Amino acid sequence: MLPRHNATAYSNGYPRNKGDTYSISPHRFQPRTTPPALRRRRALIIRLGLVLVCASLFGFFIWPGASLVPVLSLGLLSSNVGSELETVRYYDLSTVGGTARGWEREERILLCAPLRDAESHLRMFFAHLRNFTYPHHLIDLAFLVSDSKDRTLPLLSELLEELQADTDPKQPYGEISIIEKDFGQKVNQDVESRHGFAAQASRRKLMAQARNWLLSAALRPYHSWVYWRDVDVETAPFTILEDLMRHNKDVIVPNVWRPLPDWLGGEQPYDLNSWQESETALALADTLDEDAVIVEGYAEYATWRPHLAYLRDPYGDPDMEMDIDGVGGVSILAKAKVFRSGVHFPAFSFEKHAETEGFGKMAKRMQFSVVGLPHYTIWHLYEPSVDDIRHMEEMEQERIAHEKEETERQERMKKIKDQFADPNGQWEKDKTDIQNEAMKEKAKEEAAAKAKAADEAKAIADKSAGEAENKAPEKAAEKPAEKPADKPAENPAEKSAEKAIERAPEQKPVEQAPAKAAHTGF
Amino acid sequence: MGPVRSLRRTSPLTLLVGAVLCIVIIVFLFSPSSEDAAAARAKHAKAASNPLSPPTSAFRKSNDKNGVRVPPPVIHYHMNNVTTTSDPVANRETILILTPLARFYQQYWDNLMKLSYPHELITLAFIIPKNKEGNAATAALQEQITKTQKSGPEKLRFGSIIIERQDFDPPLASQSEAERHKMENQKARRAAMSRARNSLLFTTLGPSTSWVLWLDADVIETPPTLIQDLAAHDKPIIVPNCFQRYTDPKTKQMAERPYDFNSWQDSDTAKKLGEKLGPDEILLEGYAEMATYRTLMAYLSSDQGDPKQEINLDGVGGTALLVKAEVHRDGAMFPPFPFYHLIETEGFAKMAKRLGWSAFGLPNYKVYHYNE
Repeated sequence: MLPRHNATAYSNGYPRNKGDTYSISPHRFQPRTTPPALRRRRALIIRLGLVLVCASLFGFFIWPGASLVPVLSLGLLSSNVGSELETVRYYDLSTVGGTARGWEREERILLCAPLRDAESHLRMFFAHLRNFTYPHHLIDLAFLVSDSKDRTLPLLSELLEELQADTDPKQPYGEISIIEKDFGQKVNQDVESRHGFAAQASRRKLMAQARNWLLSAALRPYHSWVYWRDVDVETAPFTILEDLMRHNKDVIVPNVWRPLPDWLGGEQPYDLNSWQESETALALADTLDEDAVIVEGYAEYATWRPHLAYLRDPYGDPDMEMDIDGVGGVSILAKAKVFRSGVHFPAFSFEKHAETEGFGKMAKRMQFSVVGLPHYTIWHLYEPSVDDIRHMEEMEQERIAHEKEETERQERMKKIKDQFADPNGQWEKDKTDIQNEAMKEKAKEEAAAKAKAADEAKAIADKSAGEAENKAPEKAAEKPAEKPADKPAENPAEKSAEKAIERAPEQKPVEQAPAKAAHTGF
Repeated sequence: MGPVRSLRRTSPLTLLVGAVLCIVIIVFLFSPSSEDAAAARAKHAKAASNPLSPPTSAFRKSNDKNGVRVPPPVIHYHMNNVTTTSDPVANRETILILTPLARFYQQYWDNLMKLSYPHELITLAFIIPKNKEGNAATAALQEQITKTQKSGPEKLRFGSIIIERQDFDPPLASQSEAERHKMENQKARRAAMSRARNSLLFTTLGPSTSWVLWLDADVIETPPTLIQDLAAHDKPIIVPNCFQRYTDPKTKQMAERPYDFNSWQDSDTAKKLGEKLGPDEILLEGYAEMATYRTLMAYLSSDQGDPKQEINLDGVGGTALLVKAEVHRDGAMFPPFPFYHLIETEGFAKMAKRLGWSAFGLPNYKVYHYNE
């Protein structure tokens, strides 16, 4: 069958002249009415559209994540996914050796903080974080949260999110990792069990393990420095990172003290793990068995080592350095190359030491410089020990008792005043009465004396001239007049009255005893 | 036939067939067109968002060109969920293959590519000295990496690759076999080797690695199932026996001989020798002037022996060595100083032992060393 509508073919037997505008062929078939083809086609298009929509809806239900791009581009653009992704990383470790002025060379610091049940200290720690003067974007934070029973983890993530979302562009830090790992530690973290001698070795080994897990998970090839910081540091200079870095040592620690209540002396060396090795300690180490761990600050091991903490002079040069062999873990700045070489916190007895002290020993063993700054001090939080708490409770009770006594005494005084009115008034009255009496007496005596004198005078005047007459009576009159007003006579009375009042409290308890018992009964 | 007539005669059946066809086509288009694309997408989803992330994962290149620093997000790593089991493939456990590289051997790379362990779970990390030889090795390595990671089939691409350049010089200028094995050079050489190993290990380990496989750059032949086979034993530290293929000069035929003598069981003689040594001296294996009478795993293999046979070890060699990541995380490293008169991999076995982990060897499971 021939196509009827073919405009280019030989429908009428003649080739069509293309350039000819007036090429309306008289032979061309023109239907009188428009065929339903278009209408039908429209229906078909609608139907096809519907099918397409259904299909795509169906598709979205099955692969909700699928994007349209690869479909439209027939998969030609999908290779983009691969090229956006970088799987190869190249690092030159010789550029991250760490220098004295790291902030100028954009050297990155890894700040490590092991946490366990540290909720109460976190806010204080974050206040410190916000104050660091070292450029924050060059500091990566890594936390290991282990075996925590309080809200350490949620609070930590909340504070970190807040820090990273800070509108001040200088606040947010670099990479932030929170590592959750439980070691199943049975050791209690409260002050007493933490510092008890028997628990030390195993506690230190567990702490070492946590530190090693944290470091090995967080250390990256781009770190130049590693800073270990406990969250319970209360006061430290904001510039501590730069201050320690400036010394350009492999491992460096400040002196760690803690403030104390006044009754304990005001302040105290805290971290006794920074020390210089002594002959005594080396000799002691030789006598111990392989797994023993020497811990400082306990009478069991008298090592006679010079401790960094005890060498502090509050007015000393803060830049003064001292070579040490064991280090404390409150605040350690170390070059990352120390950790890269393999120095870690031994979770076993390494040369009779574990954790941070073993770390110092191992760093020394690998010929790294380990120094402490005796006069550069940071302050650890004061957590009262059980003894201190007991003592403080006693002191508090004493204070309360004293206060109570004071108020009772005042009350008693008032009572006495109320009960016995004011004896002073009485005495004044008595005094004046007595004085009046005395005056009367005197007046009488005077009168008598005068009369007598007058009699005598008369007798004398009769005998001699009048000069001496006037003086003698005056003198005689003055003397007796003064005497009654003299205090000594009344003083003993007053004193005995006071004594009576003073004695009163001593007698009172007997009366008060039942009252007290009633009180305690409530 | 014209379209009009054909449409007029379309039966509902044809329409239905058309619709079904449509759906099939769309399904085909939308569905992950190949495993490659699926894998790529999965990888993309798993990748970290910035280059500060642990290097054991790939990262998405930043599209932000205007220099505004976006603070990295807070990331939680659940290390309680990192497992090391005897069936690492089923549990999707990631493995880190660590290689101190001084010279690049093509056979080494080819052997790596043949490993049947899912490549997306493998991270390769190399540490290369910063000298002329090292530069050549880096160039050769990077060429192979580009070939695999950029244009190779998705299935063979590794999860991520890390190249590190050492920050200290190797103590010896020459790396030739004879020079390398001189006894007096051993201590300095192995101390430097330890530092290289530790640098590589502690910067790449990351929070999600389950296993660490130490594989020397001159190990050129291993069974393709090396990782699965070693992991199946579920031991903290496990070493296959390292041999070397050579042409026997007498018979002119290929034969094999033991190569790595650092895997051994301790002997009383060695212990006594150790007691006599000063604190900075080391005991070495395989030298006639220092007879230790230790039981060497290299000599324990037999032709018909069971490849699954295990023995206890006190010292291990590093040519091929599979370690559970938690052993390293506890602090077991390669001492660059004499540790109980042991150094490097042998010292590592000792340190692991001090931490409560033990080492095992497979005398009849062999890997092969390059022959110069």
